[in-house]
Amino acid sequence: MAREVISTGNELAAHAAFDAGCMFFGGYPITPSSEVMHEMSDLLPTVGGKFIQMEDEIAGISVALGASMAGTKAMTATSGPGISLKAEQIGLAFIAEVPLVIINVMRGGPSTGLPTRVSQADIGQAQYPTHGDYASITLCAGSLEECYTQTVRAFNLAEKYMTPVFMLLDETVGHMHGKAVLPDLEEIQASIVNRKRFDGKPEDYRPYDVPMNTPAVLNPMFEGYRFHFTGLHHGPTGFPTEDAAQCQFNIERLVGKIDAVSADVGLDDDADYEEFMLDDAEVCLIAYGSISRGAKEAVMKLRNDGIKAGLFRPIMIWPSPAKKLKEIGQKFDKIFVTELNMGQYLKEIERVMGRSDFTTLHKANGRPIAPLEMVAKVKEMF
Amino acid sequence: MRHTIRFTGVGGQGVLLAGEIMAAAKIKLGGHGLKTATYTSQVRGGATVVDITLDDNEIFYPYANEGEIDFMLSVANVSYQQFKNGVKPGGIIVVEPNLVHPTEEDRQKWIIVEIPIITIAKEEVGNVITQSVVALGITNEFTGVLDPETLREVMLSKVPKKVHDVNNKAWALGIQYAKEAKAKIGM
Repeated sequence: MAREVISTGNELAAHAAFDAGCMFFGGYPITPSSEVMHEMSDLLPTVGGKFIQMEDEIAGISVALGASMAGTKAMTATSGPGISLKAEQIGLAFIAEVPLVIINVMRGGPSTGLPTRVSQADIGQAQYPTHGDYASITLCAGSLEECYTQTVRAFNLAEKYMTPVFMLLDETVGHMHGKAVLPDLEEIQASIVNRKRFDGKPEDYRPYDVPMNTPAVLNPMFEGYRFHFTGLHHGPTGFPTEDAAQCQFNIERLVGKIDAVSADVGLDDDADYEEFMLDDAEVCLIAYGSISRGAKEAVMKLRNDGIKAGLFRPIMIWPSPAKKLKEIGQKFDKIFVTELNMGQYLKEIERVMGRSDFTTLHKANGRPIAPLEMVAKVKEMF
Repeated sequence: MRHTIRFTGVGGQGVLLAGEIMAAAKIKLGGHGLKTATYTSQVRGGATVVDITLDDNEIFYPYANEGEIDFMLSVANVSYQQFKNGVKPGGIIVVEPNLVHPTEEDRQKWIIVEIPIITIAKEEVGNVITQSVVALGITNEFTGVLDPETLREVMLSKVPKKVHDVNNKAWALGIQYAKEAKAKIGM
């Protein structure tokens, strides 16, 4: 049975992690994400899970990575400034292929920026949070329900692709308090993905000896399967190597296991985007996260005023839903893009669609974008 | 039918909780309710605004549309001045007269009602923290948007049992003062 709850996005993200089997949280509090941490500190001890508030953000992700290396599903939660601090360890998670869910409740930046105010300015950061070549998986919640369902999905993707996964909320969605109808718990539990493991003889174990575009198979530490974790390029058993062919293969596989798979068959069966009243639309609005909520209201207002508007909302931000975006670009002459940043996703939309003749509305002052502002701008297109 | 209500104060006054209670009561009655808060990075003393949207249908944009707010209640001048323009012309604004100072122009544009919310909480209820519940009673009496008994029950479910009595008193006083104020302006 579906579960009706009254809650906030941050609390629901924590409950989702818990229901997805997360048994470890390491982090450091920061506005506007702290409630994720508070909730985890309540939930985890009830089932023997571990919660640690560390001395800073770097230590927070470090212990979470350690837990994941030991085979435990782990999470950390922060905001943009925290991601900046965690960047080095995020790189380790990418190259060593350690699954981890990283929640970022976005606030105004750069630096400490606007601590209590809403922003979507970490879209670019989520794509390339650290140096080097890799491909990021980033999901973005646009509703209270999605703070729950997409966080569960983040865990499943992390385990399936052996990679850190970014779950983007923003201050509005994270702190918004209202009704959410969550899927049945048994349905959630039936959907849970656990990382693959090697069951052969320990002496035959080669965790990183996997085909192109497939993730490493990492058994939990301390179970007799010996291998090495390192941020250096490594060979089949994880020990460092500088072999040219191996290094090239490593990076092609690291990027390909996400990007090539995504372009080919998609990363999973869940929806990567939402189409809202697009079927008969003559203008397509594109927005994601909390801004898409104002855009939906703008669509209704525009339709009341005789303009057939619709909304395309990416849910999986990275890799972008490129196939569908391309179709949208071919179908609609009039496209309106609105984001709470200076145009970070606009660049991706331009790249995928191969055009840049969009009407746009971008804001970076920590204030939401009101439906009436969008309506006014869209009307200028007619 | 959509109702949008705005509470404004400063950090630490408890206006956030009052908003959550209203949204929860609407949801309990089978509708949709959303509360959003905007606040500054000051822990105490910063302008805080809480928008409450209540609707029978799904609510997308979680903030009040500026100029569409039906009712506002304010217990701090800094946030009153900053957020009053969200209220539609002819809308009702209840202010704590010891702390909020509307201009003559404001009184032309909106129905401004003065109720000493904080004094009531402090002196008549005997606990300043109950000001948010006094505000809740006032708000519902003016807007009539929620079934009062449901709202009161939800309010009690959000506060510890040992303070139920004072909060019931605060609730009743809020309604009583609002009724008197309504009578005075012929509502």
